[in-house]
Amino acid sequence: MTIQTENPLQSLIDAHTAGKAEPAWLSELRADAADSFAALGVPTVRHEEWRYTSLKSLLALKLAPAAHAAVLDADLKPYFIAGADDIRLVFVNGHFDAALSKLPTLPQGLLVAPLSSQFRTDDEGLPSKLARYADHHAQPFTALNMALFSDGAYIRAGRDAQLETPVHVLYVATAPQATAPRTLLLAGENAGLTLIESFVGLGKAAGFCDAVCEIVLQQGAHVQHTRLLRDGVAHHIGWNEVRQDRDSNYTHNSISLQAQLARNDVNVMLTGEGANCTLHGLVLGAGSAHVDNHIIVDHVRPRCVSKQLYRSVVDERARSVFSGKVIVRPGAAGTDAQQQNNNLLLSDDARADTKPQLEIYCDDVKCSHGATSGQLDAAAVFFLRSRGLDVQQARNVLTYAFANEIIEQVTIEPVRAHLEDVMRQRFHGLLGD
Amino acid sequence: MTKLLEIKDLHVSIGGTEIIHGIDLSIGAGEVHAIMGTNGSGKSTLTKAIAGHPDYEITRGDILLKGKSILADEPEDRARAGIFLAFQYPVEIPGVSNMYFLRAALNAQRKARGEAEVSGADFLALIKEKAKLMDIDAGLLNRSVNEGFSGGEKKRNEILQLAVLEPTLAVLDETDSGLDIDALKTVANGVNSLRDSKRSFLLVTHYQRLLNHIKPDFVHVLLDGRLVKSGGPELALELEEKGYAWLEQTV
Repeated sequence: MTIQTENPLQSLIDAHTAGKAEPAWLSELRADAADSFAALGVPTVRHEEWRYTSLKSLLALKLAPAAHAAVLDADLKPYFIAGADDIRLVFVNGHFDAALSKLPTLPQGLLVAPLSSQFRTDDEGLPSKLARYADHHAQPFTALNMALFSDGAYIRAGRDAQLETPVHVLYVATAPQATAPRTLLLAGENAGLTLIESFVGLGKAAGFCDAVCEIVLQQGAHVQHTRLLRDGVAHHIGWNEVRQDRDSNYTHNSISLQAQLARNDVNVMLTGEGANCTLHGLVLGAGSAHVDNHIIVDHVRPRCVSKQLYRSVVDERARSVFSGKVIVRPGAAGTDAQQQNNNLLLSDDARADTKPQLEIYCDDVKCSHGATSGQLDAAAVFFLRSRGLDVQQARNVLTYAFANEIIEQVTIEPVRAHLEDVMRQRFHGLLGD
Repeated sequence: MTKLLEIKDLHVSIGGTEIIHGIDLSIGAGEVHAIMGTNGSGKSTLTKAIAGHPDYEITRGDILLKGKSILADEPEDRARAGIFLAFQYPVEIPGVSNMYFLRAALNAQRKARGEAEVSGADFLALIKEKAKLMDIDAGLLNRSVNEGFSGGEKKRNEILQLAVLEPTLAVLDETDSGLDIDALKTVANGVNSLRDSKRSFLLVTHYQRLLNHIKPDFVHVLLDGRLVKSGGPELALELEEKGYAWLEQTV
């Protein structure tokens, strides 16, 4: 990896680590991550995994270290999700905001809390769990996150524990802050959890969010995870590390509604036989937005199923990148892996790069991948116009339809309804509603 | 009296190749005209030119609706003025429900005409009534437009749109092709139920059999981009009997 001679993000770490009162294990972890970030440096487009995504605009930002800021309930209202709002954790610039959060008493075996509240008390041994899955020795932004980390959501379900109510975690940043939120979700044997992470930027100046999410599913656990990049997201880098044991079931919906520069990594390791993983993604890009979805699904054990379906809609000068890799390890017989990426380009200057990849080291597998990039179907546009819709309405209807195929995959009803509303507003007035 | 539709010396090109070499045709209010012709004679080109498809270039002549040229009008303007084209190959639109689409279309037209938009509840009642008339399974209304529809369902769906939008001029492009006899009867019954003294139809077809079920007032034969013969319904029977070859010699 190329090391930048000057790394402006380094100065954030120096400012952050000064004078922290925290447990020794966390300080050690933080120091280790900081060393790792200094050694790894910021990747450039010469690095294969960052070929399509330049971080120059990020490095040019004048960023303040994360600090407290007052945010009102009203500021966040558009981002609350009706019907999925009974358990809510709000972090403002990386710091837990109790007044904006809702934490009802939960049945035994379930924990939803800010990580910071469990540093010293967690009986499950947080020191052996936090930052033990996403590898900060290999990934520079995972390292930077750990070095800058202040707080995040901790969600834990013990054996057989089911939490029907979705947990909504809002990571709010007031620009031009640099924030480093981190989510840790541990689903025990046959446990069931639903997690929604919303990333919201308030204020006009560009900020930077470096997020990490670690999710561990024990045997037979079910986790639904939705990740929303909302308004005001300027620069976003998010790493999602998922470990799946035997017969577990993980669903991921990554919805990028707005971002100047976003990179979403999803790294799933199917370490138990018969695990099932479904990844959906939608990118809506306009202006000069650049959104990069980078996915690795690693079939380590036999008879696991993985599905990837990502779509992007890029308008004006926006650009989307899809890089999805499926690895089938020796011995992972009976693997069933599918990858599909479809891109809709609405303008001549929009661009979509797609790179679906399969690495198969095993016979007896079923793998497929495919990608399409294209414009709106002219015949369909004419058909709609011939029924009285004007050009813009016709284009909106077809764009909505293309994008909505992903929204429809969201199985958490209140989230789907919320996103359908957002989409209707985006493509306003298209259906007379 | 002004005709509903007048086509005057119409020449139409696509991609620089002239397909229609001068057609004259007048359709009065409430009349049903059939245009028959072989494949490649220019039938579909004529329908697309009337609907205003941007790929079809009018190089000479004019199309007038109620005495006013529509050549400068966009397809949506023509639709809002009362022209409807039933497509030979209706497009599939995954992700948009038939119901939503129909209501959006109806309201776009009503809005353009300065009429009040139809509410969801009123539309539901309207669409149920029309679907029954067209013998369309209500289940199709909630599915994506034409997605996974059989050939017959797609054509019936076109006629359903016709019934909902209530145009003054309906142009049907080979609506009969690919239909079994039951579907053909359903489509024909739908069209017949929509006939009245103000609504005109232009039926474009290869075969006479549609005209057994929808009786035209006039029949025209289109060959190689020209109307070579016009007559009454008996002309269709003559074509059925003799084919098109005897007319080709007259060109």
